[in-house]
Amino acid sequence: MIRTTVLTAARRVLLVLGMPAVLFAVWWFATADSTDFYVPPLATILQKFGEVWTVERLLSDVVPSLIRLVAGYLLAVVVGVGLGLVVGMSRVVRDVLEPVLELFRAIPPPVLVPVIMLFAGIGDTMKVIVIVSGCMWPILLNTVEGVRAGDEVLSDTCRSYGITGVARLRHLVLRSASPQIVTGMRQALSIAIILMVISEMFAAINGLGFTIVQFQRSFAIPEMWSGVLLLGLLGFALSLLFRFAENRVLAWYHGLRRAQRNP
Amino acid sequence: MRRRVLGLAIAVVTVAAAAGCGSSSSSTGGSPSSDGSKTTQVTVGIIPIVDVAPLYLGQKQGFFSKRGIDLKMELAQGGAAIVPGVVSGQFQFGFSNTTSLMLAQTKGVPIKSVVNGVATNGKVGADVTGVAVKKDSSIKSAKDLAGKKVAVNTLQNIGDTTVRESVRKAGGDPTKVKFLEMPFDQMPAALDGGQVDAAWMGEPALTIAKGQGARVVASPFAETDPKLTVATYFTSTKLLKENPGLVKKFTEAMTESLTYASEHPDEARQILTTYTKIDAQVVQKLTLPSWPTKIDMASLEKLASLGEEDGIFGDKKPDLDALFS
Repeated sequence: MIRTTVLTAARRVLLVLGMPAVLFAVWWFATADSTDFYVPPLATILQKFGEVWTVERLLSDVVPSLIRLVAGYLLAVVVGVGLGLVVGMSRVVRDVLEPVLELFRAIPPPVLVPVIMLFAGIGDTMKVIVIVSGCMWPILLNTVEGVRAGDEVLSDTCRSYGITGVARLRHLVLRSASPQIVTGMRQALSIAIILMVISEMFAAINGLGFTIVQFQRSFAIPEMWSGVLLLGLLGFALSLLFRFAENRVLAWYHGLRRAQRNP
Repeated sequence: MRRRVLGLAIAVVTVAAAAGCGSSSSSTGGSPSSDGSKTTQVTVGIIPIVDVAPLYLGQKQGFFSKRGIDLKMELAQGGAAIVPGVVSGQFQFGFSNTTSLMLAQTKGVPIKSVVNGVATNGKVGADVTGVAVKKDSSIKSAKDLAGKKVAVNTLQNIGDTTVRESVRKAGGDPTKVKFLEMPFDQMPAALDGGQVDAAWMGEPALTIAKGQGARVVASPFAETDPKLTVATYFTSTKLLKENPGLVKKFTEAMTESLTYASEHPDEARQILTTYTKIDAQVVQKLTLPSWPTKIDMASLEKLASLGEEDGIFGDKKPDLDALFS
C-alpha cells in the first residue's frame, strides 16, 4: 500500500517535472554555442540570474511588483465578485449594464494607461488601477454566469424555508457560483501578472517589468532573459499557490464531482 | 479572455522564434549592387521624429534612387527596438542617439555608425530639446532641478546624462535629480497636471508644452556642447564587411540629404507632415535641429565622459574611434 503510494507520488513528480526538464535541456543545447547577441547561451543566462537577482534586488524590485500585483488582484476580486453578484441576480441591472460592460471590456488596459495617468498620477495607484481594469473582467463575467446558473430547486427550497438576505447570498448564491468564480479568478491571475509588467513600463522607478525593460534598453541581454525567466517562475509559483487555495475552498465541489462521476 | 491570453502567448512564441532565426536568416540587403543598373532594397529603421526629416527629403529629391538604392522606412517605437532590427538584418541601417550606440558597443553589439544623423542647433533656450517647467514653478534655473522629479523618455541615456550636466554647470547637485521615465508625448499633460516637476522634452512635445505656458529652464544638449552630435545612422558590422559598396552609397546619399535639409529648412518642415501626425500649426513653430554632414568627435568624447561619470557603461569605456570614425 505504502509502496504504491510512493510510486504514484514519484510518477506524478516525474510527470510534473518532465516537460520543464525537457524544455530546459532543449534550450540549453540549442543555445550552447550561440553567438547571436540576442540569444545568449542558457548557461550565461543562469550565471547572470544568480548575479542579478540578489536579495537586495528582490527587495527593491520584485517586492514592490508583488505588492502591486496582490493589491490589484484582490481589488479586482472584490469588485468583480461584488458587481457580478448584482448583475447576475437582477435581470434589469443586467440589461442596463451589459452594453457598457462589454464596451469597457473590449478596451485593452495598456491603451488606457496614459488616460489613467491623467487622473491617478504616476505612482502605485495608477499601476494598481491598470491591473484591476484588466483582470476584473473574467472574474466579473464568470460570477454573472455562475449566479445565473444557480440551481432552481435549491433556490425554491431556500425560499420555502424563508432563507433570505445575507444568509441566502452567502449560503446559496455565492456557494453555488463559487466554482465559476474560481475559474474566473484563475484566468485573472495570469492577466494580472501580464498587466503588472505592462504597468511598470510607464513612469516607473522600480519593479520587475521596469528592470527587464531597463536591461533591454541598455543591451544587457542575458540579464534581460534572466528577468523573463524569473517572471515565468513567479507565474508558476503563483499558480501553485492558487491551486492549493482552490483545493481547500472548493473541496466540497471536487468531492461532489468525483462522486457524480463514479457512483 | 482566454483567447487574448492565447494571442499573447502566440506573439511571444513568434518573437522568440524570430529571435532564434536571427543569426541564420539575416540578409545583407537584397542583391549585391556591384553593377550600377540594379537597385537594392534598403530598409532603414527610424523613429518618426523631426530629426530624420533629411532622410525623407533625400528620398523625395532622388538622392537615394539615383545611386540605385530603393529606400524604405520602417517606423520603430524607440531606439532600443531599432538596434536588434539592424543586427538581425531586418533593417540595413538604423537611426539611434549616440549614447545608445556607445552603450550598445560597450555591451558587444556588433554595430558601427556610418554617417551623421542630427546635432543640436547650439542655441541655449531655443534648442531641439529642453527641460520645461510650469509657468508658476519655483524652478528658475537648472540648478533648482536638484531634488525635483524630472521626466525623461529613457533612463540611463542621453537625456539624463546631459540634464545632469546642465545641473552641474549651473552649480547644482546632479546626483539629487530624481529621474523617471515617460514617453515624450505624455509629458506636456504630466507637467500640466503636476505629476512631475520638470520634463526633458524633444519636439513636438516641447512646442506643445510651451504653448501651454511652460518655461524652458535648461537646454541640455546645447549646454553640454554647442556642436553635440545627438544621433547618427548606423549599420551592422556584418553588412559593412559583406557589402561595403552599399554602405558607401548610403553614406553619400545621406550626406547629400543632410546638406539639402540644412539649406532648405522650410522643405524639411513641410515633409514632417508626411510621416508624422504633428499638427500643421505646430509644424510652423517647431525648433529645428542642425544637420551637419560631419560627426563632431570632440562633442562625443564629452558625451562619453558624462556617461562614464554617471556609470551607465558599467566598468567599460566606449571605443569612439572604432564606433564613429
